Amino acid sequence: MKLGKLNLPLIITLLLFGAFVVIPMGSAFEYSIRRGLEGGYGLQNYLWAVREEDFSYYLIRSTWLSAVTVLITLVILVPTLTWIHLSNSKLRELIDGLSLLPLVIPVVAFAVGAQISFPEFIQSSVMELPFLYFILALPYAYRALDIGLKAIPLKTLSEAARSAGASWLRAIVIVILPVIRSAVTATIALTFALSIGEFTMTVLLHWDTFPTWVTYVAQDNLLGAIAISMIALLVPFVLISLVALLTPEKEIKESN
Amino acid sequence: MEKRGVRKGASFPISPSSILPALPFLLIFGFFFLFPISRLIYVSFMSNENTFTLGNFQTAFEKPYNSGFVNSIKLGLLSAAITAIPGAVAAYFIETRGSSRLKRTISSMNGVLANTGGVPLAFMFTSALGIQGFLTQALKAVGIDLYANSFSLGTFTGLLIVYLYFQLPLMIIVFSPAISSLRREWVEAATNLGANNLQYWLRIGIPLLLPSFLASFLLLFASGFSAYATANALTVGNVPLTPLQIGGLLDGNVSAAQLNLGKALGVVMIVISACAVIPYLLIQRRVARWQTR
Repeated sequence: MKLGKLNLPLIITLLLFGAFVVIPMGSAFEYSIRRGLEGGYGLQNYLWAVREEDFSYYLIRSTWLSAVTVLITLVILVPTLTWIHLSNSKLRELIDGLSLLPLVIPVVAFAVGAQISFPEFIQSSVMELPFLYFILALPYAYRALDIGLKAIPLKTLSEAARSAGASWLRAIVIVILPVIRSAVTATIALTFALSIGEFTMTVLLHWDTFPTWVTYVAQDNLLGAIAISMIALLVPFVLISLVALLTPEKEIKESN
Repeated sequence: MEKRGVRKGASFPISPSSILPALPFLLIFGFFFLFPISRLIYVSFMSNENTFTLGNFQTAFEKPYNSGFVNSIKLGLLSAAITAIPGAVAAYFIETRGSSRLKRTISSMNGVLANTGGVPLAFMFTSALGIQGFLTQALKAVGIDLYANSFSLGTFTGLLIVYLYFQLPLMIIVFSPAISSLRREWVEAATNLGANNLQYWLRIGIPLLLPSFLASFLLLFASGFSAYATANALTVGNVPLTPLQIGGLLDGNVSAAQLNLGKALGVVMIVISACAVIPYLLIQRRVARWQTR
């Protein structure tokens, strides 16, 4: 990046926006490394958090719930969207529209609806969450995959795969998925991120996951809870920024 | 999986009249989304004795629930109004002057920031703007005492400040595509026809960007209006907001004479949210015609 004269507005923008982002985050980080009553700084709150039995329990639980959400999203959306693109079905308009509907409904209202609608055997299983997360992530996941499929010669690819004797399942898994891998990666990333951080639906349906557990910790050990929040916030933040920073330009152009 | 003959296989699943391939999606979407929302609407018209009534809605527009709507709408509008222009300007400079790597990094960071909320966000602002907070102390050192006028993060003003933290990144995310599709040729064409910078912006730039700007504003409103987690973490029932009132009724922390009052509040929220999100979606669809490059 050249720091020429022209870029002064950009630098000012980045400084202001950087301060806006970093000051609250940095202040919370400073709290999280305080050593309580003794004063001074240390990592003891982080060590405390990681040693908590519930820490790994809820982290693992949230991780697999999010993994299941990603799986549901891909298994349902990739074949459906492939079919929509290939068939030019009249259902296309309908399904496009439906996929955006969850944006219209506030999560709180959706949670009330879920609570009064599902039969007992669904409400008593934590497996209802991945399906509800799937709905919450649908507008974004659908759009990401839709853009990916629009950009490739889908008809040629699937016809070639079919002529070579592949079943539809095989054609999707072996030929189509690898070609739209950047759209699939984006879909996985945003669905996973949304599910692992989801709070409102989870807490209103009385489930406990990593994000809701932090609320309880805060009542006993505030600094520990701040440390946990920092882990929950900074780890994805740093990971996602690093991935974006380190991905070579070339690969992006190719996969687009 | 059984291998089918090429012709037979190729014609079966892509036949436009067949809805079979869309069935799994439609079933799951119908059961986990359309069904609960329809039931919510239906039950909101039910009295305690399961007869039809408008009473739930009547109560929903009376005290203290009416002030919940007023506050939630105000919070949505104000948080959107404060962040819309700075976000649009930031998006403009980042999109037009940043390298593609910078753009990508900022856009992924914004994705994370726009989804921050709840307890982590509450902690960040307590650490920065609480009584002992870093920023509070720094401001005090230069002579500004935030807490002189009974300021607290758990008030309407406090929530408004905290909401800016996810609204500004959201504005940058939703407005950036509009900026990046402004073409350089348009500036050149305008200049060739003798327009100056101001004329370009007044006649071309702003009119082109205005629909996207309004659409972004509407989406920000909906996001601030329906946010639950952060307000739940920062307030203790002192700021009446509809999402919190619904949460309280759902948890049974608050009891109401009408069992289905919470459902009516939810339906009114959906109507208000739809008034913002549906125009947003329609505008986005229209501008997509010239935005696709």
